[in-house]
Amino acid sequence: MHGNWSMVERAAQLLGREERETVLGDLREAGESPWRGVLDIAGLLVRREALLWRNWQPWLAAFGLTLPASFLLMGFSVSVSYSYLHLMTAQSDVLTVVNQAVLLLAWGWTGGYVVGAISSRTLWASLLCCFAPCLFCISRFRAPHLSSPCLLLFLAPAVYGVSCGLRGSRLPTNTSLGVAFVTTLLTAVAINGGLWSMHWLLVWPSCYLAMNAEVACT
Amino acid sequence: MLGEFEYLLITAAATLGEQAYSAAIQREIAAATGTRCSIGALYTTIDRLESKGLLRTWMGEATPTRGGRAKRMVRVTPKGVQAAKDFYDAVAYISRGAVWATKEAG
Repeated sequence: MHGNWSMVERAAQLLGREERETVLGDLREAGESPWRGVLDIAGLLVRREALLWRNWQPWLAAFGLTLPASFLLMGFSVSVSYSYLHLMTAQSDVLTVVNQAVLLLAWGWTGGYVVGAISSRTLWASLLCCFAPCLFCISRFRAPHLSSPCLLLFLAPAVYGVSCGLRGSRLPTNTSLGVAFVTTLLTAVAINGGLWSMHWLLVWPSCYLAMNAEVACT
Repeated sequence: MLGEFEYLLITAAATLGEQAYSAAIQREIAAATGTRCSIGALYTTIDRLESKGLLRTWMGEATPTRGGRAKRMVRVTPKGVQAAKDFYDAVAYISRGAVWATKEAG
């Protein structure tokens, strides 16, 4: 019996400290069986998670941003890698490589920031929507002269962006507007140069950042 | 307007007064309805009512019957009392002609 109760206590580790205390106390006082206790705790966790998904933010972060952006950014990471390789053989110019690198950093960071800021409590779903496409593409990646980690160049700025978004740190209004302007400009240049117009999808996080900064100042 | 479970919860808390905490409310609701409500339903409803300003909760003392665990104490706010009264008045009004609400019923 006591051994089984440890199962309830382990399940309760998924709750917050105060809630764990009261839920375990309630189950003890009611004299519930360990299985009933585990079911009750699971039910509470499911209800809490379901409540989070009644808002639009987790849906937007996971399926409106992370999932499509992961595919686009993996493709663009390969483009940057090729541009860099061509730079070594003088088939590409420095400006193109710098333009693409800045764009990759901006898209990755701003996208990650928005995901962290609007879906901090459902981040697991956004992470799943990023890592599933990554694993899928890595397993099928065949490109001459490039190794599969080239697909993941966007991850470093994206992860940093997520950590900034989770902290809720805000950029000053001028900086945010600057980031949005530069990102939009470089995107326009890249799309004019033959990049798929679907990449406009990656611009809105920088606009969100600018709007968010403005709200913070008013 | 409150939901029926919200009304039951507020009424149980108001009836228990100073002794209102999650497990006691759960017992009151079970005694009234004949059905045990789950911890998940109870806690998420308490959270919702608290966010609406209808309840106030805080951590109470620990007791040996609870394995030394603290209680989540509950108190109904004046706004909660008004919401429960509105719900009760609406139910009483709408039920005035129903057979189960008249003396002849049963």
